[in-house]
Amino acid sequence: MSSSQSVVRVVDDEESVRRSLSGLLESVGLRVRTYGSAQDFLAIDSPDTPGCLVLDLHLPGMSGLDLQRQLADSGRALPVIFLTGLADVPTAVHAMKGGAVEFLTKPLNAPALLDAVRHAIEKDREARAERRSLDELRRRYDSLTPREREVLQRVIAGRLSKQIAAEFGTSEATVKEQRAQVMQKMQAHSVIALTLSAKRLGL
Amino acid sequence: MITAANASLLLLARGAPRVIGQSLLAIFALAAVTLVCVHFQPDDPSLTAAALVYLVIVVLLSLNGSFTAAATVSIVAVILLQDLASPPLLSLSIYEPLDAVALVVFLTTALTITRLVSKMRGALDRLRVSLEDLRRAEEATRQQAALLDLTHDTVFVSDTQSRITFWNRGAQELYGWSAEEAVGQTTHQLLRTEFPAPLADITAALHEAGRWEGELIHARRDNSRVVVASRWSLQRDADARPVATLETNNDITAHKQAESALSQAQAELTRVARVTTLGELAASIAHEVNQPLTAIVADSNAALNWLAMEKPDLEIVRSTLIAIVQDSERAANVFTRIRAMLSRTVQPHQPCDLRGIIRETLPLVQAEFARHTIRMEVALAAELPLISGDAVQLQQVLLNLLINAAEASRDVAAERRVVIVRTEIQHREPQTQVGVQVRDSGVGVPEGNLHRVFEAFYTTKSGGLGMGLSVSKAIVERHGGRLWVTANTDYGATFHFCIPTKS
Repeated sequence: MSSSQSVVRVVDDEESVRRSLSGLLESVGLRVRTYGSAQDFLAIDSPDTPGCLVLDLHLPGMSGLDLQRQLADSGRALPVIFLTGLADVPTAVHAMKGGAVEFLTKPLNAPALLDAVRHAIEKDREARAERRSLDELRRRYDSLTPREREVLQRVIAGRLSKQIAAEFGTSEATVKEQRAQVMQKMQAHSVIALTLSAKRLGL
Repeated sequence: MITAANASLLLLARGAPRVIGQSLLAIFALAAVTLVCVHFQPDDPSLTAAALVYLVIVVLLSLNGSFTAAATVSIVAVILLQDLASPPLLSLSIYEPLDAVALVVFLTTALTITRLVSKMRGALDRLRVSLEDLRRAEEATRQQAALLDLTHDTVFVSDTQSRITFWNRGAQELYGWSAEEAVGQTTHQLLRTEFPAPLADITAALHEAGRWEGELIHARRDNSRVVVASRWSLQRDADARPVATLETNNDITAHKQAESALSQAQAELTRVARVTTLGELAASIAHEVNQPLTAIVADSNAALNWLAMEKPDLEIVRSTLIAIVQDSERAANVFTRIRAMLSRTVQPHQPCDLRGIIRETLPLVQAEFARHTIRMEVALAAELPLISGDAVQLQQVLLNLLINAAEASRDVAAERRVVIVRTEIQHREPQTQVGVQVRDSGVGVPEGNLHRVFEAFYTTKSGGLGMGLSVSKAIVERHGGRLWVTANTDYGATFHFCIPTKS
């Protein structure tokens, strides 16, 4: 299974719920780790492991919403599926706005939970892939010299090498060489590809 | 006696001129008879004839006049006879012994007649006085009976055989039977009395104390029932033998109905307050039930998934099914506890141990306390004397105090979120009491509102009815106890209640 490396984290203050949820998830071949509180999760869980978080909304101490907020703030993005016994609309809205994948009420709808978990794992996988490629892109960008970055700016703005050379007061050949460096370092095969990469980097 | 003596004196005083008149008249008659005798036989007047005529006069005088007059006249007659018997006339000497005997006989006879007649008249007078007394007594009795007729209470008298001998108008109005119809009937048959205790016991109590009080149910003439507060008094004769029973009855049917309606309303209010109290726990209760249900749903789906595999691991399936059974029991227990709180209505008071009641109540609020991370400290006495009460209602009181404590604690700093439940024995005259304290360190009750918290409809909760504490207070008071609140010196409030132990 594609998500075999992903781990579903279950955070619930009640042992029977943790045990049964992990049993259910394991029965469909998922890997599971359980935590009794938000604090435990923050202290122990490894952010690098892909997967998703099944989170009880009403936890003693730090609540589920607090944990979701803290994860978002610290960049440990992990798709969250909320479980709650009391679904009031404002809380649900709050949770969804905070980026929750799903908001499920107890007692449980098992297929809905499994669907949500699979969806969340997929989403996390995509997000991680996206993050990975973005990191790669940034690394490539970081390898450009200041002059190469200036050239890149002008290339994606649609300037010709001749125009850039005139602006910098250098030869067109020099600009062409720098431009080739940029294309190679950014691993862009065309100006369009370079433009898209630059856009992803927010340039 | 005094009345009779007074009457005699009055008669004497009033009769004095009459005595003199009668005496004079009689003496005049004696003189006339003497003159006649002397006139017809001047030399030998007939002593016998004169004596007889004198006697007639004395008798007549005795009958009509006074003893004094008769006696006086008798003596005058003797003097005259003696005069007649011994000539010459107007000399006072006696010559013949025979005459002397006749005189003595005459005097004795005259005086005896006078005395006898006087005695007879005395007896007659006394009889007349007695008759007068009797007539007055009768009048008084008649007036008393009329007074008994005026009272709204029913009054009737029955003899030792329970036969009605007196029946007042109140009885007629209440029961519909007239005095004519009722008198002579057997009371308890006529009224189809329902006794609170066997009649033999009541009769025994009546004979011992001379009175009895209690509530009876009687049937009216139209077959409708009436509840009466009945008071019986036993009347005894001079030899202390019971002769009659006076029964006074007050119609308390309306009072009883109002009383029963009141107690019904109270029970209903208590029940509603209990439902409301549990309603405040709804979120926690839902959570408490949802947790095991969630586990059950997850486990059963997991079990199905395990079984669907090519080579199912039956050991995992088995342990999953065991977990399902346990969680089902847990969910069922929540409902059993709640149903026990809701379904039972008024129970007769039974001996109960407050510690047991506390232990049964704590699980009901556990989820609520956990939800707001409030710590609970319980310090129960090693042993508590039993109290007499309704366990469900006392549980309601505790539940209320615990929910209030949680409510007061939920928004304060985490270290202050502690509720302490404590029991103690208070040895106070005349009875030992069992005390329970529920102490929080929450927001507290403003000093000025300490007494107001027990008022109906006083509430600080947004969704509260304000009935919880007022109903709790009523419940504790129905158990003969007291419920009050004190402000803690640092934070929060302590609710106390104490209930006298079973004597």
